[in-house]
Amino acid sequence: MVPIGIWLTISGKAKLPGKIIAATGLILVMISSWTVPDSDSSAGGHLILTIFAPTILLAYGIHGMVFGGNVPVGRLDPSARWSGTFAVFASIGIFCLMHWYSFTPVWRDGTVNPYWIVFLPTFLLFSTSLCSMSSVALIIYGENRSSDAGKLATLSLLMIVITLAAMIFDGYLTTADQFRDYLWLSAADIFGTMVGISTAIGAFAIVIWSYEKSLPIPESSPPPNAEEIEHVVSLARSHIGGEEE
Amino acid sequence: MKQANSSWKLLVFAALLPILTLVAIDVSLNNNFHPESFKRFGNAVLTSYIIMGLILIGNLFFYADSRHRPSAPFVGMAFALAIGMLIAWALISQDDLLLEANSGLRAQMLSNIVHLLVSGTAMMVASILAIGYTFAAITGRERRILFEEE
Repeated sequence: MVPIGIWLTISGKAKLPGKIIAATGLILVMISSWTVPDSDSSAGGHLILTIFAPTILLAYGIHGMVFGGNVPVGRLDPSARWSGTFAVFASIGIFCLMHWYSFTPVWRDGTVNPYWIVFLPTFLLFSTSLCSMSSVALIIYGENRSSDAGKLATLSLLMIVITLAAMIFDGYLTTADQFRDYLWLSAADIFGTMVGISTAIGAFAIVIWSYEKSLPIPESSPPPNAEEIEHVVSLARSHIGGEEE
Repeated sequence: MKQANSSWKLLVFAALLPILTLVAIDVSLNNNFHPESFKRFGNAVLTSYIIMGLILIGNLFFYADSRHRPSAPFVGMAFALAIGMLIAWALISQDDLLLEANSGLRAQMLSNIVHLLVSGTAMMVASILAIGYTFAAITGRERRILFEEE
């Protein structure tokens, strides 16, 4: 339901029904731990439900930080920038508390949700990688952006520090050994997903290119005849000239 | 052109460096390689290829109106997707090649989809943070005066 809803929304043919279908699909996935409690796979939906609140807080914070700055449209009050920064770091703090404090997503019989240990290392690795890349991109393509690049590098470093802490110190329901094991798997996951997506896009490009290449070259239109030239000249004459002042 | 190439290399290096550093620290702490990581990599490649292929087929269907909905690209992409599914089926069916802690082919495929949903969500949240923070850094600076009115 989620992909169909997104397709309908993006295509512009049924934006509102598309949004409703996608949202309904997402809600059904999130409540799957109640609707199909016997399925182990519903732990994935349970995890998405537990991270929903900090993710919304993160998105709210980013919105405030971006639109509280110098933007030409939709500018918010400058205080939104500070409240946004607070919300972003609060959401990162909540993710840390979910690992080291009693907020850890609990699955059956008091055990940790098995996908939590998949989510956290992937989130930390991918965010540190993206922040580092953005920081270098600002220096390469931007002008006098060293201080802005420094902020992104600091965020990347913060993510590295959190990852190192999780590799050294045990979590509330998980051990540092488990986290280190899953860090490997997360790196494999990230590289695998990137390779898979790139291959699919490559196959798509090859299919489109082959089709476009097989099409006949469009024929050149014949030169205008005398009647058409006369018509164009009359149009041009009607637009040139005018009375002198 | 040479400068553009080198900047791309720098960007890729900047993206890979933190991950490789953390994995290197992990190796030094654990003193061994994780045996399941190849399986995870293979499953992630195949699952993301199939899911992304499905999304692209959907786009092909919805965006083909302006071209009188030709069937050739649609069939071509469906064929590419079928090859991906066939490879996934063949490799997961082989004992201990891509089969993780699951009972069989169907259980592994379902597990792969849920795993991709979770890791995809993690990557999406990380992207919101990194891209949003980048834009916040860009818009945070006072606007420069390009010229003053006389």
